[in-house]
Amino acid sequence: MLDLWEHYHWLTPPFVAGLLVVVTHVVFGQEVLRRGIIFIDLTIAQMAALGVIVAVLLGLDGGWLTQAFAVGAAFIASLGLSWSEKRYPQKQEAIIGSLYVVAASLVLLLLAKDPHASEQINRLLAGQILWLGWQDIWPVALLYAAVLAVWFMSGQRGFYLLFSLVVTSSVQMIGLYLVFATLVLPSLASKRLPVAWTIGALGYLLGFTASVQLDMPAGPAVVVALAVSALGYNGVLTVRRLTSNV
Amino acid sequence: MKRNLFALALLLIPATAPALNIFACEPEWAALAKELAPEAKIYSATTAYQDPHYIEARPSLVAKARQADLLICTGAEMEVGWLPVLLRQGGNPRIQADQPGHLMAAEHVERLEVLGKVSRSMGDVHAAGNPHVHLDPHRLLLIAELSRDRLIQVDPDNAEQYRQRFLDFAARWASAIEKWEQQAQPLKGLEYVSYHKNFSYFADWLGLTRLATLEPKPGIPPSAKHVQKLHGELEGRAVLAVLTTAAQPTKNAERLAKKLDTTAVVLPFSPGAEGADDLFALFQVSIDRLLAAQ
Repeated sequence: MLDLWEHYHWLTPPFVAGLLVVVTHVVFGQEVLRRGIIFIDLTIAQMAALGVIVAVLLGLDGGWLTQAFAVGAAFIASLGLSWSEKRYPQKQEAIIGSLYVVAASLVLLLLAKDPHASEQINRLLAGQILWLGWQDIWPVALLYAAVLAVWFMSGQRGFYLLFSLVVTSSVQMIGLYLVFATLVLPSLASKRLPVAWTIGALGYLLGFTASVQLDMPAGPAVVVALAVSALGYNGVLTVRRLTSNV
Repeated sequence: MKRNLFALALLLIPATAPALNIFACEPEWAALAKELAPEAKIYSATTAYQDPHYIEARPSLVAKARQADLLICTGAEMEVGWLPVLLRQGGNPRIQADQPGHLMAAEHVERLEVLGKVSRSMGDVHAAGNPHVHLDPHRLLLIAELSRDRLIQVDPDNAEQYRQRFLDFAARWASAIEKWEQQAQPLKGLEYVSYHKNFSYFADWLGLTRLATLEPKPGIPPSAKHVQKLHGELEGRAVLAVLTTAAQPTKNAERLAKKLDTTAVVLPFSPGAEGADDLFALFQVSIDRLLAAQ
């Protein structure tokens, strides 16, 4: 047991980061599913990424200015989407999708002449959750705590603003695929928050274990594990319903 | 009684020291470590078929970095995208930057193409100079000597063994260099095109000149327009070959070679690529393929 700890305690910060993401994203995931705007996080995350890349190309590598660009771009997108949700409610999902592909294409165009383009895009999508250390995590933890506090105390208002703050930071931390999966899969499995949280945490635990056992990148492994965890829960429910009917 | 016999049997088994763990960032350093310390446990973070500028974070990378007694990498900014985080995440004090267990090979030899000032618009160039030093066998010998010193520092009990192994390697290497320089005589003064600037040291050694690279700027994949432009510029010149490595795409190299009426040649670049099992084979195969391209 001690030996295990010795070998794997470096995984603690990445795993804690995962749990933090689960706690916040499942809350917003419930809201996203309730509103039926599933692809909004992809779009807002992509806009945040676009902001990061514009900042980098302007020579503002790293630091607060980059974050300001990311949040700025994400927030502009979410303001626009918040407006269009009221103005064109039936077209909202299509607008979200279109904004996503345009932002993604702009990223590709802006990075066409950049030597690190493919690795930047890959990092943005699949993330590098295993490389996280405590110094990457605590600012995000503070932000998440503040956002959740505002969300619950304001009676769940200011969704678009809070959501863009959360997604902007988590995409840079763990990548787009994992953000999307954490947001949608647990909430898809259950509408009850504690159940969805458990499913999410279980997915991260499973994914990390698989990643260590099979020596694979943790991000994609967790995405698949979240799906397994969500499906597994529904499988158990179905079996129970069938057996109780008999 | 039985138990005592068992304990006695255990005592009779010769005590073997735990093997030294060596972490190499690229297969060339793993191959070099194998020449000097064949009994060590050697791990290479990348293969000859991978671009070592960027690798995906896998748990085993951190696990191996945690166990390592000696880290041998290229350095000179080559692994800047992943090695610093790996060292931090591994938290292994033996291989941190100021330790003898931390060897950045390219930083200890004279480098070509050192630039004073670097801006992002120049592509993926390294201010510290071209880091692909291992394809000059003379520099490689210097690095072997340095690796011997570091092995002795991190594992002083086996110092004599490392000294012997180095002497043996240096002798075989020196005679191989002599043979290769003989064989490569006909290549002197010839001109080539390569995908990336990673044959600079090899070419410098053999007296070859690079005319152009397929990449418009280092790290940026070739565009059809750039290949067209190269065709226009190089038409009518005697180009020995268009060179790529086992890790690079060959499509554009083949297109350009066809237009220039020359051949596209894939050189192994690192040990472990097809036909190049160790450092000796790496150089021999590279020279043979260039001679065949003539």
